[in-house]
Amino acid sequence: MAARAIWKGQLVLGKHEVPVKMYSAVQDQAVHFHLLHDKDLTPVEQRIVRKDNGREVAKEAQRKAFPLDDQRAVILAPEELEQLEPESDRAIHLLRFVPRDALGDQWFDRPYYLGPDEKGDADYFALAEALAGKDRIGIARWVMRDKRYVGALAVGDDGYLRMTTLRRAEQVLDVPAIRPDKARTPSDAEIKLAEQLVDSITGPFAPEEWHNEYRARLHKLIEAKAKGAKLKLVAARPKEATTDLAETLRASLSQAKGSAQAKGKKVA
Amino acid sequence: MRSFWSGTITFGLVSIPVDLFAAVVPRQKSMKLVDEEGHPLGRRYWCPKHEKVLDDDELVRGYETDSGKVVVVTDEEFASAAPEKSRDIELRRFVALDDIPPFYFDRPYFLAPDERAGKAYALLAQTMAKTGKAGIGSFVMRDHEYLVAIVSDQGMLRAEVLRYVDELRTPEAVGLPKPAKPDAARVRALAREIDALAEAKVDPAELADLEAETLRAFAEKKAKSGEGVVSMAELEGDEDDAAASAQVIDLMQVLRESLGASAGKAKRAADAHAAAKKPAAKKAAATKTTAKKTRHTVGR
Repeated sequence: MAARAIWKGQLVLGKHEVPVKMYSAVQDQAVHFHLLHDKDLTPVEQRIVRKDNGREVAKEAQRKAFPLDDQRAVILAPEELEQLEPESDRAIHLLRFVPRDALGDQWFDRPYYLGPDEKGDADYFALAEALAGKDRIGIARWVMRDKRYVGALAVGDDGYLRMTTLRRAEQVLDVPAIRPDKARTPSDAEIKLAEQLVDSITGPFAPEEWHNEYRARLHKLIEAKAKGAKLKLVAARPKEATTDLAETLRASLSQAKGSAQAKGKKVA
Repeated sequence: MRSFWSGTITFGLVSIPVDLFAAVVPRQKSMKLVDEEGHPLGRRYWCPKHEKVLDDDELVRGYETDSGKVVVVTDEEFASAAPEKSRDIELRRFVALDDIPPFYFDRPYFLAPDERAGKAYALLAQTMAKTGKAGIGSFVMRDHEYLVAIVSDQGMLRAEVLRYVDELRTPEAVGLPKPAKPDAARVRALAREIDALAEAKVDPAELADLEAETLRAFAEKKAKSGEGVVSMAELEGDEDDAAASAQVIDLMQVLRESLGASAGKAKRAADAHAAAKKPAAKKAAATKTTAKKTRHTVGR
């Protein structure tokens, strides 16, 4: 069954407008559990309560307070918040197009497909083809359902446009460049060995080869338990850290190459 | 230690003990929930039958089977489903980082070396940086399995949680129409528009949180009138925010202990982040620092 579009808008690039429909690209596959009261397995509800006395506070009486500093916050009334909502005009403004690696992966938040709107098929596929020839992503801003979004516009190998929303500058934490001290700096020889090892297990990104095994095992476990089976519990055991790096790398390489010589040799 | 997860990255026979920390924090515009008089509110679990608020240790998780039977799964049973995966991230494959479409990236975490990691941590970071590759593996944390790409960024390893392929819809499933061959003149016209907007870098100002800025400006103006001002002291105890800033400080501590050399720089960053997380008077200064640093790290 075809998905329903969550929103309609126009991509705006300079003088051109390309009408598009937006679709969520993710589908939830998580195993869902109910939270129950341990006493008699009553399903629990969530309530918003006053922290001091535990009394429930109805939705109409709930307010939001914006923190100003360490000492104070200001309560903002619903009508004040509404008044601060941005104007919605259905325009998805393309601000700039940058090389793909100009944006680190940690910025990507939530993916959406963009599909052609009935009246704009020709423009949609023209833009997809134009973008495919550039190896760039577009940085876009728009207002959807009274909220502002920033996103990255890209085209897939399949010829469809995608928009991935981006995190805000303040959300993405920065770390200093790391230069480890001498004792923790690998030698050139060790790096060379590591490169060979990495090369030996390098391949294309093949997401279809990866399955959520835990999810599958959890389903099995639940089935078994539902039938009344007694479960055997197993706990995890931590691994030892590698001490002799060069030796371990050599052993890994031989193992990767399937060399019999490395087999049975105690390393790491 | 307040890391989310501690375990081992393995590639080949090399194992690297690491701790996992948050690499992203909630948006600044997130507000505190209060009632009309400003009393702090919280979300609590409520048992409708016993008519009482429940603590976490009074809750169990139950799965409803197709036949309507409820099966309770204990914490030990959750842990038992894939014990080896709860300790290790085995990198079974390396791929070119550019091969992973933006669509797959879900959530990033920093991986800090454990003190016992020795040279192996830097070895993996430097090898991946040099080759432009990411290591792919999966692990279990808090009763969920995560597919991750381990990437190297300025000597630091990051675990990028990836979506599983069945968590992403296909264009066919969405029902997108078959691609039509576009008119060449239209393609050229749109290509020219793209060229006109082409830049080498992202402008961090374009990634700023305009909603948070608007809210702050309005809240500050309203505060001057004195109306609706409540004491933050009463509102403290927002566990999430406190945990996120504690984590940043912890990460820097870990780096200092396990890497020595970059201690000075790491400390400054920790202070800036701690201040940036606190909605304090120092905010303006701290935000400025963050914005400036972000400029260097928007790319990869």
